[in-house]
Amino acid sequence: MAMRVNTQRRVFQGVGNGALLLMVLWTAIPFYWMVATSLKHDKEIYGYEATLIPERPTLDNYATVFRETPYLLFLRNSLAVAAGSTLLSMIIAVLGAYAIARLNFPGRALLARGLVFTYLVPTSLLFIPMFAMMSVLRLTDSLHGLIIAYLGFDVPFCTWLLMGYFRSVPVELEEAARVDGCNRVSALVRIVLPMSLPALVVVTFFSFTHAWNEFLYAHVFTSTTSARTVTTGLVNFMSQDVFFWGPLMASTVMSALPPVLMFLVFQRWVVKGLTLGGVKG
Amino acid sequence: MATTTTVSLPIPSSRRGLGWRGDRISRLLMRDRTLGYLFLFPAILVIVGLVAYPFASAIVMTFQEKTAGAPGRFIGLDNYRELFSSEQFLRAVVNTVAYTAIGVGLKFVLGLGMALVLNQERFCNNLFRSFLLVPWAIPTVMSALNWRWIFDDASGLINNVLVRLNLIEETISWLSDPHLAMLSVIVVVVWQGTPFFTMSFLAGLQAIPKELYEAAEIDGASVLQQFSYITLPRLRPIFISAVMLSAILTSAGIQFVLILTNGGPSDRTMIFPVLAYHLALGGAQRLGMGAAVSLVFFPILVVFIVFLTRRMLREKGGD
Repeated sequence: MAMRVNTQRRVFQGVGNGALLLMVLWTAIPFYWMVATSLKHDKEIYGYEATLIPERPTLDNYATVFRETPYLLFLRNSLAVAAGSTLLSMIIAVLGAYAIARLNFPGRALLARGLVFTYLVPTSLLFIPMFAMMSVLRLTDSLHGLIIAYLGFDVPFCTWLLMGYFRSVPVELEEAARVDGCNRVSALVRIVLPMSLPALVVVTFFSFTHAWNEFLYAHVFTSTTSARTVTTGLVNFMSQDVFFWGPLMASTVMSALPPVLMFLVFQRWVVKGLTLGGVKG
Repeated sequence: MATTTTVSLPIPSSRRGLGWRGDRISRLLMRDRTLGYLFLFPAILVIVGLVAYPFASAIVMTFQEKTAGAPGRFIGLDNYRELFSSEQFLRAVVNTVAYTAIGVGLKFVLGLGMALVLNQERFCNNLFRSFLLVPWAIPTVMSALNWRWIFDDASGLINNVLVRLNLIEETISWLSDPHLAMLSVIVVVVWQGTPFFTMSFLAGLQAIPKELYEAAEIDGASVLQQFSYITLPRLRPIFISAVMLSAILTSAGIQFVLILTNGGPSDRTMIFPVLAYHLALGGAQRLGMGAAVSLVFFPILVVFIVFLTRRMLREKGGD
């Protein structure tokens, strides 16, 4: 005989709690190892005296990163590229999304489709011709080059996301404003944008973290230290071999922190914006 | 969803007679068509310049022998011919399919499991939800570096623990053993990619009306029956989108393989984006060959891309 539904519920709840414990461990252990390594002396990292828990925690690795490597420069570069591409893509996307959501003109459905299509084309299909193009334009080894290159991803995605939000702002509000003498531009700035604040937050989050996390373009377009961002900078540390796991994990912890903190703060909006438009899958 | 109809409003007549300078311009700007193209111009420029043009030039490149910064020499189908007779390329095709299928499959199963567990009610559930999603928020490069250290031959976490527990005598080379390398890389892919499925599925689960379950319970349906007759069918559209999106991003994702194994040992983990990278940017700089590798995979990806494009526009109420 089938069990009573309530009994079944209780069984599944128990199984769920057990599974949750495993999932928390599976998620947490890699983080733990990253942070623990960053706090260890070399003696505790390698060889027979290696430990699982740092016995004498130290911040030496962090000091090494700042003293002996151009990490600060990488940070500055990442920040500049992320800020630049976020600002630009935001402006371009707000205008584009408003046009598609609210204005009537031939070809807008086609343009909307084109935007989404572009967003879904992965950069690994484009990096070779982009590299050739950037070389010709002399935009390799340059932060400007990276800012421009990132627009190719950020603009389509942000436009798509904002389009949906703008549509949900009641048209009547805008029409009322226009009767009162607002033109399209001021209706956009005064009515639509303030009402789409959550979407603007999500868009900022996505373009900022995308630029911060991006690796392929940054790696391919950059060959000198001066224009390296954090991601390609750290991978470069690894391939140089002199630089080992203590300082490398210290810089990994520091570089992972900003996007994680941003995610935790904006989580509620991000998850909503992501459910269909995920950036990494 | 209905398309937004725009009522064009006449300019108030009091304004019309004043003849102020901006009047003509602002009247021109009032027209949807002008303003629409004006507003979309920068976005179109981005699409054309940073996606459409590079893509078209990639197609041209596949018929050329070309290095960066120099004009290419037309060689017809030679690149493709060489590619299809190269064992490395054929291995990359097989690897990419296996890597994507296993990776996405595992992410799907684990993601569904996590979503179901997180959908149960319990103490501090929101905290667990946030925490389990964090691997998604970590930059891929940072996860890859971290896992490379976890898998380290000599002092990595896994070998460290296994030796301590006396389970192994000699440390295992997770990333350079031909039989283990692919599996190890997939573990990392699954670790970072599962939260995306969890988030998508959880959102889907929460959108299912509670009444359906209540009604089923009254009819005497067991929990498993409720799952297979209510939950699964309701989640189907999300299943399809998530799997397709993940398949695109997993197969085309270059970072994990590049950082963990660089395609080795002896091409055991070589997938198409990494092969394209090696051909185009390793030593010989054969941009045409690299572009050809990517292009061969495009027809498969484009099926997913077109399908997702339609769906993403529908969900956002597009026309």
